[in-house]
Amino acid sequence: MAEYLGVEVRIAPNDPISREFLEHAGAHRFVTQRCRDCELLQYPPGTACEHCTSSNFEWTELSGRGTIYSYQLVEHPIHPAYRERVPYPVVLVELDEQRGLPVPEYALRVMATLVDTEGKPERAAAVAIGKRVIVDFTDLGDGLGLPVFRLSDEPPEFEPWSFPLA
Amino acid sequence: MSNLKDKYAIVGVGETEYSRNSGRTTRALGMEAIRNAMRDAGLEPGEVDGMLSYHGNDSTDSLTIAGDLGIRLNFYMDCSGGGSSTEALIGLATGAIEAGMCETVVVFRAMNGYTEARIGGTGRQVPVYTGGALYQGIYGVNSAAQMFAAAFMRHMFEHGTTSEQIANVKAVHSRHASNNPKAFYKERVTVQDVLSSRWITRPLHLLDCCVETDNGTAIIVTSAERARDLRQKPAYIMAVAGRTSKRKANYHWSYAPITLHSGQYAGPRIFANAGVTPEDIDVTGAYDAFTFTPIFQLEAYGFCEPGGGGDYVTNGTIELGGKRPNNTSGGHLCEVYTHGMNMVIENVRQLRGLVDDYCPNWAAGEHTYDYSERGCRQVRDVELTANLGWASPAIGSALIMHN
Repeated sequence: MAEYLGVEVRIAPNDPISREFLEHAGAHRFVTQRCRDCELLQYPPGTACEHCTSSNFEWTELSGRGTIYSYQLVEHPIHPAYRERVPYPVVLVELDEQRGLPVPEYALRVMATLVDTEGKPERAAAVAIGKRVIVDFTDLGDGLGLPVFRLSDEPPEFEPWSFPLA
Repeated sequence: MSNLKDKYAIVGVGETEYSRNSGRTTRALGMEAIRNAMRDAGLEPGEVDGMLSYHGNDSTDSLTIAGDLGIRLNFYMDCSGGGSSTEALIGLATGAIEAGMCETVVVFRAMNGYTEARIGGTGRQVPVYTGGALYQGIYGVNSAAQMFAAAFMRHMFEHGTTSEQIANVKAVHSRHASNNPKAFYKERVTVQDVLSSRWITRPLHLLDCCVETDNGTAIIVTSAERARDLRQKPAYIMAVAGRTSKRKANYHWSYAPITLHSGQYAGPRIFANAGVTPEDIDVTGAYDAFTFTPIFQLEAYGFCEPGGGGDYVTNGTIELGGKRPNNTSGGHLCEVYTHGMNMVIENVRQLRGLVDDYCPNWAAGEHTYDYSERGCRQVRDVELTANLGWASPAIGSALIMHN
């Protein structure tokens, strides 16, 4: 059984999209859907291309690099799985691919946890808007994986901004 | 664009006690709220023939409650939905009547939001990650606070909005609630109280989040023609927008600015249909699930510029006695959590001049306009109100009424 933080990860038999997405992550490939008709990417995966309505997709591997667009530091867990992990940062990552396309407002923005090299929640003081991140993977079992992010060694895209911690 | 301006009105409002221990079923709560609204309007069971409710699998259906009250229905729907459903269903009620399906519709919401189904969950659900949770919930993003916090963090980054500014929304609404005998939290709190409360998810403190309660609420809609024969002064419906959404609203951070609420689309629609501007509105009911949500909405609807919300909620505008008070009942932060119903009920009473405050003769429309603690909360000379309903940064509804 695939699981994450002691919680079952259950993919419905009629949901091949989620299975394939997590199988790629299990092989440490961070992928998303590319539309074969309009050639645009979208995240997260869906049943049709949000740009042209086609369902003619292929998986394409992403660089996994991006910039923290926003974030939060969760102190009060809701899901039991996260009780041992607070405080944990959740980042909104703007990926490098296809920023501002097909319209300036759109970007591939991924909501995910920010972890350190050991897979534990990154220190609160290290999180900031503008910092660069890179995808990492957590194995879920059964050949599945979960994309997460960690801080990269690249310089920040711009002067980082963080919420005052005091 | 069709326009039913002033053709329909809200003629009755009612609620149960607002508590955290109703000790009753949602069936009993819904029944009592509807009965109170019918008595408020002066309507008999045979005079109500439509029913609309909304729920998150946490309520009782219209047929059951109609049966309890001896109401025979010509129309009913029980809709899935939470915040921002109130205004949307009021709009649907006018549409049902306009379509000739019925004459008088009661909209209700019944919920044991504290003792049964808590919004966002408390960890009592069977924990399994599947479906859409594989792209969000699995990352520890489950509650409303966790789903919205990053959008407000971005607002702080882009516009310099501060924790102190949003804390003032709670402080102001608590002062309003202190003049509301039925409010769940009647004690006034300060900005410092909010900042001193524990973190839920930074940048949100505990007191930046709304209350959870058990309650039933009901609102009755009928034609303006019929309304004039009923007991109360009608609150005429000038315009409604229902669950207006941004693109890809299920991932509300997909289209920037992620801090600009879908009110950017609802606003032009309602103000054009009503034939008024934000500047004309006397009282707002901007849904305060969190202290920052009124800011997002007030900006998007044009009550202030994008980024100007922090100043707007701290410069005295939103207070009783200010230029355009917001949530005079105390709203979701202090009065009660009803998924939006109580803020519409409050504005109906404001338009009647019959706000149920601590003034000895409020029921006769006599108000002191002394807004000090345990005093008045009736706004002087209210003519136009705007309710702004929130479901998320990318989904919202709105309702403009006049008396």
